[in-house]
Amino acid sequence: MGEADLLAGIADALRTILPEQRWFAGKGLPVLGVTPVRAIVLGGTDPQLVDAIVQVDQGERHDRYQLMLGVRSELPEALGHAWVAGIADRAVYQAEHDPELTAQLLALMNQNAQIDGLRFATEPGVTLDTEQRSRPIGVEQSNTSLVYGQTYILKLYRKLEAGLSPDLELHRALAAVGCKHIAAPLGNIEGELDGEPITYGMLTEFLRGTADGWAMATASVRDLLADDLLVDGATGSTRHPHPGDVGGDFASEAHRLGHAVATVHADLATALGSSPAPEGYPDEVAGRMHRKLDTVLAEVPELAAHESTLRASYDAVRGLAGPVPVQRVHGDLHLGQALRSVTGWILIDFEGEPMAPLAERVAPSSPLRDVAGMLRSFDYAANHMPLGDADPQQRATAAVEWATRNQEAFCDGYAQVAPDPREQAVLLRAFELEKAVYEVGYEHNNRPLWIQIPLAAIARLTDRPAP
Amino acid sequence: MSVDLRPEHPADLDGVPHTGEAVLPDGHLVEPQAEDFRHAKAAPQDLHWYKRAVFYEVLVRAFRDHDGNGTGDLRGLTSKLDYLEWLGVDCLWLPPFYASPLRDGGYDISDFRAVLPEFGTVEDFVALLDEAHRRGIRVITDLVMNHTSDQHPWFLESRRDPDGPYGDFYVWSEKDTGYADARIIFVDTEASNWTYDPVRGQFYWHRFFSHQPDLNFENSEVGEAMIDVLRFWLDLGIDGFRLDAVPYLFEEEGTNCENLPRTHEFLKRCRKVVDDEYPDRVLLAEANQWPADVVEYFGDPATGGDEAHMAFHFPLMPRIFMAVRRESRFPISEILAQTPPIPSGAQWGIFLRNHDELTLEMVTDEERDYMYAEYASDPRMKANIGIRRRLAPLLDNDRNQQELFTALLLSLPGSPVLYYGDEIGMGDNIWLGDRDSVRTPMQWTPDRNAGFSSCDPGRIYLPVIMDPVYGYQAINVEAQSNSSQSLLNWTRRMIHVRHEHPAFGLGDFTELGSSNPSVLAYRRHHASAGDGTSPVEDLVICVNNLSRFPQPVELDLSEHEGGVPVELTGGVHFPPIGELPYLLTLPGHGFYWFQITRPDSEREV
Repeated sequence: MGEADLLAGIADALRTILPEQRWFAGKGLPVLGVTPVRAIVLGGTDPQLVDAIVQVDQGERHDRYQLMLGVRSELPEALGHAWVAGIADRAVYQAEHDPELTAQLLALMNQNAQIDGLRFATEPGVTLDTEQRSRPIGVEQSNTSLVYGQTYILKLYRKLEAGLSPDLELHRALAAVGCKHIAAPLGNIEGELDGEPITYGMLTEFLRGTADGWAMATASVRDLLADDLLVDGATGSTRHPHPGDVGGDFASEAHRLGHAVATVHADLATALGSSPAPEGYPDEVAGRMHRKLDTVLAEVPELAAHESTLRASYDAVRGLAGPVPVQRVHGDLHLGQALRSVTGWILIDFEGEPMAPLAERVAPSSPLRDVAGMLRSFDYAANHMPLGDADPQQRATAAVEWATRNQEAFCDGYAQVAPDPREQAVLLRAFELEKAVYEVGYEHNNRPLWIQIPLAAIARLTDRPAP
Repeated sequence: MSVDLRPEHPADLDGVPHTGEAVLPDGHLVEPQAEDFRHAKAAPQDLHWYKRAVFYEVLVRAFRDHDGNGTGDLRGLTSKLDYLEWLGVDCLWLPPFYASPLRDGGYDISDFRAVLPEFGTVEDFVALLDEAHRRGIRVITDLVMNHTSDQHPWFLESRRDPDGPYGDFYVWSEKDTGYADARIIFVDTEASNWTYDPVRGQFYWHRFFSHQPDLNFENSEVGEAMIDVLRFWLDLGIDGFRLDAVPYLFEEEGTNCENLPRTHEFLKRCRKVVDDEYPDRVLLAEANQWPADVVEYFGDPATGGDEAHMAFHFPLMPRIFMAVRRESRFPISEILAQTPPIPSGAQWGIFLRNHDELTLEMVTDEERDYMYAEYASDPRMKANIGIRRRLAPLLDNDRNQQELFTALLLSLPGSPVLYYGDEIGMGDNIWLGDRDSVRTPMQWTPDRNAGFSSCDPGRIYLPVIMDPVYGYQAINVEAQSNSSQSLLNWTRRMIHVRHEHPAFGLGDFTELGSSNPSVLAYRRHHASAGDGTSPVEDLVICVNNLSRFPQPVELDLSEHEGGVPVELTGGVHFPPIGELPYLLTLPGHGFYWFQITRPDSEREV
């Protein structure tokens, strides 16, 4: 059976299976067709490992996806859930569930193998232990990750895009300057498609025993809201304790996290440069913010009340005096992208803003965008709790106090390494608002009950006296 | 207000053997010898007993008053050994019971070879050893090698006769400017490490209080004299020493006079005496330092360790409290990750509370900065760690938290040291002042003086606790012995579970991370050679919920795929471990101890 036959044979099955995958980007649109692009046998005969690309036609969307397929004459029962289709007496299945096949990927990297334009490689000086068995961990939106033993993690990119992945590019650059706040890159799978470079996979060290910043921050919020209410002796009124006075205080972690983010920014600047933004940068940023606002305003009527103050905040960026330093940044920083290990904070997923085109994701930007992303994330953590409260107003007050305390601690930590972000208040506030407007649009379409979180933030941010 | 236990004069040793009863023609003081006393029968030989042992710190003064004078004594303690055996204690740690003017809780020793009269006699101590050993319980005590009381006959001789045999026993100087780089430890009470002695007309060196002159270890006779003190008690049958203030034995100009190489050399000499003459006795170093520095006191890893057998792990305790307060495992995970491996013959001592709570000032600068950063805005936390409180009041008398803390103490790497009274959840008396608040009489019964003493209540050395929550009528051994659900019986069961599993004392420690920051999980694993009768492998998984809320956790146990977790307190079999992460749910402040049994042994059940 040729590889082309294999893909043609399963194309129909994929029309059903692909939209069920977590990483499938075109959810909600009907799949009109699945077209084989190419398939490469990576090794073995029975079982056999095949790296495949298909194009999915959804009318306005034409996305290409990478699939790891296994082919066996007999599929063991334990792999039944991975079944895709049967063709010519053989079972085709999703190979990421089969440790026997995924082990070959490490071996190919060790050999620096090249197969039909797919290039496997280890990073300089790395030799991999190929005995590690893998298992998929299924939490990410845009890719599939395989954890090998407790040692490596392989990120397989699903929706393919032309160009070197910023994730791989920035991990390499940061590793080259000895950055302590990333997982070390160990290997990669790259190649060309239609004459353009593509990143198919990235292997990094697996940091065992980490917890993400979101889980830690929300544990702190939970602790605060569950603490006994304080009673004012004079008035008899009650209120939540101050977040700094309860055991679950997160400020020292937020401070360390700010320090870590600023260190990563400094390392990125060392590795890939930092320079004053070109003259038109403030206008360009403000223009982009206005355009995004236009889109969301058209969809979300509740935002209209804030339009004039939002536009005023954006326009203030145009008048910035002095040069704005720009450099490569993370681009999609939030608490979920920070992992706490026993030695400190690690940042992951340097892909840049999801959905944005590659050129935009790799464009130099003010690092304040990352800071703003993290400040917004603290606000979300403070407000996400689905717990009831006798008095929503008290709860809101406590949430603002928690968010403010940790945002300030984050900025304090950041300012130990780099200029204090709060000193560039106009730009920082505009970035925060830009992010909040994006959130309004997102919540409107996906989680309408949550829309009050970014709307309240916009009200608060625009209510402050102009910086 | 603190109760002053200090007599006007040094301990009255008339009528009992003591140092300086007679003077030899060359000026040397006659000192009591071990041959003058009966020797205790040794405990059964067991080279690594201290690695598996559960230690119990007990103040002689506070445990049981035998003669009815209001102060606990050695005979009283001996009379309570049945209780300690029942509880499962393997080794008693007694703070100093030597003759002393008691200006520093007995750490100011005025005669290394005599017992403080109010506690009894050397004979009483030998009787305690005999009775303890008969029950398989060992006994260690503190020994201060760095300094003596200024009432010790050595010092009295040294200041009187600079040219006599003791003239060079202490660190004397014409000036008070030497060793300027050594920090002053008790900054609140001492302005300098030098104090002028008008009798001798010179300054003497002291790292602690001015009434505790440092011995001069540069003088080889001092080292010999101290080793003879070790031999004196070891000959009587003691099972080891907690060596107090070990980092300070030697001084050297231009250094901070801590952890000097010659100090380590002297410890190696002490260890050699123990190894050659008294195998299976232990030395426990008190070095209140960062773990990376403390491991130096275990000595050479190539030999399995040739200095102290044990040392306390100081930073772990406050971090356990912090982790539960933060509902985050990282304070504990971090300190354990920063703790270097120790030699094969060495063991940490770990504790939650003791008689002399460490303050934040006593840990290293690095650790103190970390702790201050964490506690800066949390007044309750800062006060709780700094002030001497007992475990139960520290945890708001919350039974779940007391159980969680005890489970951590009994399962983290090291030998646990319980503090007397914490097994019944005794309270403290903050009105006594911080030194005495946790040293009140042990609460045995609801009767007069809590069953501690038959004396008139006004004579008792410290009042028994009488408040409605922690008072002796509510909290006492008798009542808790009779209730199967009491904290006492629970603690006893946990100690017995620990004894059944060598992994706790001898095993490796591996933290099992998870994505839930509030859950601390780890594996203890011990593989023994196996002689056909004992199990070859012991594998225990401990999972602790540091949060007050119920929590889920997914553990990667895939390397034990096929194994069956058996809960250790109830023996309940949990579902077998598969390839996928193992899901557990824990109640608030809950914990599990599991033994992982192999599928083949499972079939035999």
